Amino acid sequence: MKGIVKSLAVTMSTFMRRPVTRNYPTVHRELPERDRAFPLLLWDQDIDEPFCTGCHACERACPVECMTVLMKDNPAHESQGGTSKRRKIVDEFWIDYGRCMRCNICVEVCNFEAIAMNNTWRGHEMSVYDRSDLVMDLPQLMMQSKANEIHEWVAD
Amino acid sequence: MSDGIFGIENTWLDAAIRIQLIVGLMTIVVMGLIYAERKILARFQQRLGPTRTGPAGLLQSLADALKLVGKEDLRPRNADPWTFELAPYLVFVPVFMSFVVVPFVVGWQVRIVELGLIYFVAVSSLSIIGWIMAGWGSDNRYAMIGGMRAAAQGISYELPLVLALISVAMVANSYDLNEIVAGQGRWPNVVWQPMVVVVFVIAGLAELNRTPFDIPVGESEVVGGPFVEYSGIRWSMFFLAEYAALFIMALIFAAVFLGGWAWPLGEEWGRWWQLALVSIKAGLFIFFVFWVRASVPRLRIDQLMSFSWKILLPLMLVQVLVNGAVLVYGGPLWILTIAGLVGIAVLVKLVGHAVSQPRPKVVVAASAEGEVAS
Repeated sequence: MKGIVKSLAVTMSTFMRRPVTRNYPTVHRELPERDRAFPLLLWDQDIDEPFCTGCHACERACPVECMTVLMKDNPAHESQGGTSKRRKIVDEFWIDYGRCMRCNICVEVCNFEAIAMNNTWRGHEMSVYDRSDLVMDLPQLMMQSKANEIHEWVAD
Repeated sequence: MSDGIFGIENTWLDAAIRIQLIVGLMTIVVMGLIYAERKILARFQQRLGPTRTGPAGLLQSLADALKLVGKEDLRPRNADPWTFELAPYLVFVPVFMSFVVVPFVVGWQVRIVELGLIYFVAVSSLSIIGWIMAGWGSDNRYAMIGGMRAAAQGISYELPLVLALISVAMVANSYDLNEIVAGQGRWPNVVWQPMVVVVFVIAGLAELNRTPFDIPVGESEVVGGPFVEYSGIRWSMFFLAEYAALFIMALIFAAVFLGGWAWPLGEEWGRWWQLALVSIKAGLFIFFVFWVRASVPRLRIDQLMSFSWKILLPLMLVQVLVNGAVLVYGGPLWILTIAGLVGIAVLVKLVGHAVSQPRPKVVVAASAEGEVAS
């Protein structure tokens, strides 16, 4: 008998509380600043070219071999009459998000801080109908950084 | 109201219009109730409930209804065709028949029946036949068990319910629901019959097959009870009947115990005030039903039976005797109040005692040599 009354009181107290539901696709939970989704490439806004030189460091370090990098001579280099100090630059870059295990090693080994883990919701919501759609090419990897959608996070 | 509505003299036409009104009203009310249940139950679990279909999810019930109507109406090959197909009607029709006597506002009811309470009780217990037919006709073990449970529970809890209504009728000195309501202008019957209210709510929950008395339809025990084999429109008819019964039970509760439209404003106030009063009172009952559903687990069937026969029924018989003694020998009415409060105390005590009893040990024969794990 006491139990019944107590259970009624408990449910009433939860009834009075605010619902914890979020309207998910329209309202997103705020992500922690050090959130780690899939890796993407960063865009050098000053010179208007990617940071990545295509040095293959990340590709060699990747434990699941989800990356493919191609390098080329930078047409915008100072010797060619451009403004860039990069002699070589990335030509093509593919990351297979279906294979990536989000280990952060590529970010650790990068000498130019050219690759980072996505910390936006777009980095999480990777639902596609075909696995081949999960293979990202260079424009796709650049897009978010180019549009300044990535949150800056600097270690103290 | 015995004359025709809208000035129609033809009895059959008049009746047809009344039936259409009832069915239309009930369908809308049931959809509203389902929406309300989903919303309220969601809040009890800190959820939001339906939000996507229409503004604030208001059209969810409509969408569900349309989906159910569009579904294929299946019948198992082994099912008894007549029993199976007719069962929904036999559940559906009595519920709508009991709507005839429900008083909303002064004069707003389908017919004024002098033996309204008796009629209500008689008609509302008819739907048990439909439940058994559904269980029997499906040729499904779960459905059969569910139908049997529904019959056992319905018959057991019918008695406390009837006795509760009878003791109210004794105090009100009438079986006519309109008169019962009108007689509660100063004091609602809650004051004179506190224990009867408690018993009525419990027995009402059982009659409606709501938690904690939902053993006939308990998903974890008998899948869906008698409705396992039903789909589409037939299943939705059972559903409609269930919620319509809830609505009618709430209205009867409001009318019989809380004074319907009469208390506390009296008869002089306008119809809309009375309607609002009745809605609030019925809404309280409905909210309580949802609240209990969110809180209390299901009873075992033996607990359910002994609760009705060993506790509720004797208490109600004593209540009727006390009522009779006080009313015949002309004692003051507050004796009834005190008797009712004592009755509630006894009820609580008995339930507490029954709950604190250790479970009877099940004797299991040792099937093999050696020690039996206890």
